[in-house]
Amino acid sequence: MSRLGGGLAVLIPILVLSSFATYSLGALSNSNPAATILGQDAATPAAVAKLDKVLGLDKPLVVQYWDWLTQAVQGHLGTSYFTQIPVSQSIAQRLPVDLSIATAAVILAVVIGGTAGTVAAIRRGGIIDRSVTVVCSVISTLPAFVVGIILVVVFAVAVHWLPANGYNGPTQGIGPWLEHIILPSLALALQVAADIARQLRTSLVAVLEQNYIVGAKVRGLPYRRVLVRHALRNAAGPALTVIGYDFPMMLAGAVAAEAVFSLPGLGQLLLEAAQTRDIPVVQGVLLVVSTFVIVVNLLVNTLLAWLYRSSDGVSA
Amino acid sequence: MRRASRVHGGSVLSLPSARIAIVILAAVVFLMIFGSALAPQNPLTINANALFQGPSRAHLLGTDYLGRDVLSRLMAGTRLSVLTAAEAVGIALVLGAPLGVATVFLGRAFDFAANRVADALMTLPSIFFAVAVTAALGNGLVQAMFPVGILMAPLFFRVTRAAALEFARAQYVEAAELLGASKLHVIRVHVARKVLPTIAVTTAQGAAGALLAVSFLTFLGIGVTPPTPTWGGVLSSDLDYLSNAPWAPLIPGALIAITVGALNALADAFRDRAPRGRLAEPGQNVTTQLTPQPLEAADGRPTAA
Amino acid sequence: MAGQPPPETGAVRPETVLAIEDLRVTVHDGGATAVRDVSLTVRSGEIVGLVGESGSGKTLTCRAALGVLPRGVAAQGKITFAGEDVTSLSARGWERLHGSHIGAVFQDPASYLNPNLTVGGQVAEVLRVKRGLSRARAHEKAVELLTTVGLRQAGRVFHQIPAELSGGMLQRVMIAIAISCDPELLIADEATTALDVTIQAEIIELVKDLCDQRGLAVLFVSHDLAVIRELCDRVVVFYAGQVVEAGPAAEIIERPRHPYTQALLRVASVGDFRRRELEVIPGQPPHVGDRTTGCRFAARCPSVIEACRAGDIGLTRLGPAHEARCARVDDPAIAEASAAVAAVAPVAANGTRADQELANR
Repeated sequence: MSRLGGGLAVLIPILVLSSFATYSLGALSNSNPAATILGQDAATPAAVAKLDKVLGLDKPLVVQYWDWLTQAVQGHLGTSYFTQIPVSQSIAQRLPVDLSIATAAVILAVVIGGTAGTVAAIRRGGIIDRSVTVVCSVISTLPAFVVGIILVVVFAVAVHWLPANGYNGPTQGIGPWLEHIILPSLALALQVAADIARQLRTSLVAVLEQNYIVGAKVRGLPYRRVLVRHALRNAAGPALTVIGYDFPMMLAGAVAAEAVFSLPGLGQLLLEAAQTRDIPVVQGVLLVVSTFVIVVNLLVNTLLAWLYRSSDGVSA
Repeated sequence: MRRASRVHGGSVLSLPSARIAIVILAAVVFLMIFGSALAPQNPLTINANALFQGPSRAHLLGTDYLGRDVLSRLMAGTRLSVLTAAEAVGIALVLGAPLGVATVFLGRAFDFAANRVADALMTLPSIFFAVAVTAALGNGLVQAMFPVGILMAPLFFRVTRAAALEFARAQYVEAAELLGASKLHVIRVHVARKVLPTIAVTTAQGAAGALLAVSFLTFLGIGVTPPTPTWGGVLSSDLDYLSNAPWAPLIPGALIAITVGALNALADAFRDRAPRGRLAEPGQNVTTQLTPQPLEAADGRPTAA
Repeated sequence: MAGQPPPETGAVRPETVLAIEDLRVTVHDGGATAVRDVSLTVRSGEIVGLVGESGSGKTLTCRAALGVLPRGVAAQGKITFAGEDVTSLSARGWERLHGSHIGAVFQDPASYLNPNLTVGGQVAEVLRVKRGLSRARAHEKAVELLTTVGLRQAGRVFHQIPAELSGGMLQRVMIAIAISCDPELLIADEATTALDVTIQAEIIELVKDLCDQRGLAVLFVSHDLAVIRELCDRVVVFYAGQVVEAGPAAEIIERPRHPYTQALLRVASVGDFRRRELEVIPGQPPHVGDRTTGCRFAARCPSVIEACRAGDIGLTRLGPAHEARCARVDDPAIAEASAAVAAVAPVAANGTRADQELANR
């Protein structure tokens, strides 16, 4: 339980820190939002001053920040300087793309990494174990976008099995949706899967040597049950923290995936906004992303607290 | 990295992987300094008659979508990539290391706060902030690598904090035996022996991550204006013309992967050769609330985030 | 083969639950022999104690009987459980026997329980899996079992994790798990060693009660003679991987016929160790890989003669249920030593006053 409290305690400073930093970017930039909105011709000093007041840009930074934050919590993230579309709308439009990919990636990573790690641990020293180790090391050095590119080259260009780009939402049919997200999700998932596999193997090998596994066995519990309910349950902890730890990397990878696979996601939104110096959009995206990261970490910590009730925490 | 190898002298070089790594890295550094001058062709010269050519005598790595020599472009791009990666690592080191040492002496409250802040920073994905910074401060790699550096600082913070903690504890034991001047000497010797090697490991890992970050950013189009060549930029344009030359992206991809791999191998070598003891594994000593470290220290490296 | 008593008058002939014949256990992938020529039986309702120093082979024997030998360790010979030959039983086969027919309790109970699950949950788990009970019914039965083994407020204890309970309580939990499906045999390997004296006594009483009530056969391993004496009906003495003496507990304790057993009892019988000198058996037991012929106790035996080293010594039957492995077993000198041991103060574990009282009860 103290873990949760700790988790929450960190939540506040992170959010404050990142959102303030995010917000200050606007102030740091030399851009003059009012002038940009009005357009070059209409941007007379008087008009600018007037618009500044309307936009609230003449108040001190901290006050502006607070206003922004309170509005943000209610879901109002401002309006794009250029398209006049509310930021929250743009984000909401693109969020499903990243969510689909991120969720699919996590599932794939857990399944692939978990299976590989478990099999490697059970048949320790065997050929599967050694190949898993080698493959993991190789994958770890490859960044997500390189992996993504390889996948595209192999599966989309060379063999034409899967589409190389584009995105179809699930509402337009589950089949095409899955087809479009498989490669990008896989690109994201592989590196995390490698980390999970390595970590799980180590923990599981250690757990399997513990006395309580022998204890469970002499109670006549079936092998599968001992493996899953006792061994894996206790060994999974560090592997789970890998997910929390790798999550920022996955987010970055999502941006890469969007670039490689031409997906209309938040990353692309951010890139476009950065090029046009559309500050409100940038701030909005950053806030959403930071919140995501924190939420995931909180979830991982909660799961850990539930799994590991003994005070010395994780694993053996 | 030169500083670190001086600390270890021969011991690191005894590992074959480290030797290969150092050779690779030396080549990279060499390219960085002399790349543009040594390139066989002008990286900017467009040749409409020689598009998408495979490797040949004139063009050892082929040509790109504008007929430019790929090898020359990559050699020329080395400087920008490496320098900006070094910038990020430098920022991280300068921010993180002194704070890590200081926090041990500045009291519980400060330490607690610093640790929480470090945890927080480590969870944030630096790419997003890097991109965001370009929105505010203009499209330049120098600005973009700033947040990468800042978000890497906690890594150095943790490592030096662990080292300083161990030293501080030992100091109380030896305090009685030490006299004024020799205390300083002990600090210097101790620092050299214990702290520098771990900083070396973290630096190498940080450099690997920073290089990935640079490649990523240039891949996304951030930070450089074409036609200036960068590793990531070449990769990106290769991708646009994938159907014309499916093998093309493998070249810059391999270049990035090899350099990053060399840095990681170097980091591993430093770690293996570090003096025995808890300090040998950076990131493993400090327990955190929000992101508990996995048991394996292999993930002490920063990521492309 | 030792241990085939005449049938008790008026009762059904007691069933032999466990029979071990000529067990030989090799370690280091066959590199050395840790246990040789061991034979013993345990009958229903009987408590058989295995006694010996660490490394004497008693634990390996018991693990072989349980089918949980570690890597690189192999067993040969014949092991029969309730008439079924289990010497080369498959993993599936052992799964069927474990829990339902054979229960086990070990030395450090905390390490044999999953630290992240409630103790009650672990008891209930066995009931659900092996007996097919529903969750609610298993919970009920688990609480009943926890009460049977002497845990007060069993309902509360159910929800606690191992870290929250003491060693004695945890050992009771392990016993509860071991007997939960009414097995015929209970194997206890140093079950009381890590507990303090008063708790030890309680656990011993518990095992005795369970044995009486359920007709449980018990194989109890310990290096503590006081515990063995309190608890066991028959005793098997191990030395250097062999059985050196076996017979009814009373006979072995009061009139030991093998020099090693005699020495053990002399050492253990020192009542107040502050007053008398510490008695020890000089020397060390032979290494596992040792291949010298002749009696393996010869190097340390106070009554050793030439003949002892001549060739391997077999077991000599000394009575209907008593045998010993000694070349001089019929020698009157040995019998005298035996009488000398019997004359000394009763066996006490560590000579404290509490123990004297215990011994006198």
